[in-house]
Amino acid sequence: MANIVVLGAGIAGHTAAAYLQKGLNKKEHKITVISPTPTYQWIPSNIWVGVGKMTPEEIKFDLRPLYKKWGIEFIQAKAQSFYPEGDEHINTGFVEVEYNNEENKGEKIKVAYDYLINATGPKLNFEATEGLIPGNGNIASVCTFGHASHAWELLQSKLDKMKNGEKQIFVIGTGHPTATCQGAAFEYILNVDFEIKKRGLEKQAQVIWITNEYELGDFGMGGAFIPKGGFISNTKLFAESYFVERNITWIKRAGVKKLDDHTIYYENLDGEYLEQPYDFAMLIPGFAGHGFKAYDKTGKDISDKLFAPNGLMKVDADYTPKPFEEWTIKDWPETYQNPSYHNIFAPGIAFAPPHSISKPMTSKNGTPIFASAPRTGMPSGIMGKVTADNIINWIKTGNATMIHKASMGRMGAACIVSAGYGMRKGTAATMTVSPVVPDWEKFPQWGRDIKTTMGEPGLAGHWLKWLMHYMFLYKAKGLPFWWMIPE
Amino acid sequence: MENRLIITKYSEQYYPPTPNNFTLFLRRSIFFQLIRFFILNYKIMKIVIKGHS
Repeated sequence: MANIVVLGAGIAGHTAAAYLQKGLNKKEHKITVISPTPTYQWIPSNIWVGVGKMTPEEIKFDLRPLYKKWGIEFIQAKAQSFYPEGDEHINTGFVEVEYNNEENKGEKIKVAYDYLINATGPKLNFEATEGLIPGNGNIASVCTFGHASHAWELLQSKLDKMKNGEKQIFVIGTGHPTATCQGAAFEYILNVDFEIKKRGLEKQAQVIWITNEYELGDFGMGGAFIPKGGFISNTKLFAESYFVERNITWIKRAGVKKLDDHTIYYENLDGEYLEQPYDFAMLIPGFAGHGFKAYDKTGKDISDKLFAPNGLMKVDADYTPKPFEEWTIKDWPETYQNPSYHNIFAPGIAFAPPHSISKPMTSKNGTPIFASAPRTGMPSGIMGKVTADNIINWIKTGNATMIHKASMGRMGAACIVSAGYGMRKGTAATMTVSPVVPDWEKFPQWGRDIKTTMGEPGLAGHWLKWLMHYMFLYKAKGLPFWWMIPE
Repeated sequence: MENRLIITKYSEQYYPPTPNNFTLFLRRSIFFQLIRFFILNYKIMKIVIKGHS
């Protein structure tokens, strides 16, 4: 009998759990999912919660009945520390977790495993930026459904002020010098702008994009080249055109350091310390690991064997420091297996990338200001499935060779960038890149396969995003033939 | 373009391309977008299949 523990029930963790229960006989093997909350949320739709087009209930559901049906044990708890060798009493690896449910809150237990999937995602590191506190004053976030729900309340209050003739400044973008997830902020600013214009309030509003990107359209993946209108142009033009069309202005190469009630303080790559007034701010925080600790059998701290300095888990990537010019797709992991403990895996945002995808930039004062590597829903889902497939193969054959691989240097990704909700008047940009990490050896001219990399704005994009919302929730809910829907 | 008139000349916002009325019409046309919907689905599926191989 194999005992598999999955930490986290987000896109990577839930996908892994779903395929594990499908591929393994649950009478012979035990699957346990440990997550601080019992709900699954379809994070890409947080944007629509943040502009009042969906309620939190429409983008989330309770995992417990599903896991009961699937024969998966669910523990509502937060992981605390890892013991990959066990301890003097337990001979197998285990994790120490702290209950987060009402009955046992604060109580710690040890959960043993034969295989461990760490899919705990990122810690939303708001505290790394002074004053960036969602829900505080004029600061909003769309990182969780709760944050997004508050963002809509705050946005409504600003819309009311504009209806009464007050001018309002909306600043949306990245809230840390090395933040990632520009795509989500990009979607949110376009949706906020759409809602303002829909109400005829554009004369009262100034909408500003603030970003740590070197150029707009970088999105943490070094930008992309897309064929359009007889040219092959960079996503810089694509993003700038989108903003100019809507009269949104931008501040780029900006590392946000601090916020107070009405001012954002930032440093730019030129080393200038500047200020931007605001009445509504939605800034994506930096991401970090959860600060987990790891111990060997004797109780010695071995956190550096499991985790990179940023707290994310080490996997089969090449972490050798090297200059940007020497980066290749071979640096990127394929199986998300920890190199020291082969029965531990970290798919999704939980794994430590070997480096960023965008070129690291430093201000004249020595502050790193650039976009970190993104890991969106589609790659996270694929990583979760590949991890499950490898564990299933290992259990069934006894062969520990990882036969399933999913490198971000080989897989593509599709991203639908919503720019306004509505089946007749909505719009979104459909973007695909292949591969996610540019492969300059295979595609020396453009870094990616130019035949499959594209960006196309239009109403059809909104239909696609709307369809994907329902399709991926259908899949996550494990409804009939869920497994036929790809990640 | 109305927007172009209120953008300060020689600022960064002055230079990027903006869609003309025909492009905007195509982006909103139900008939044209219905065709694009199926084409975009096909293109995404190509990426998805490749990613799962």
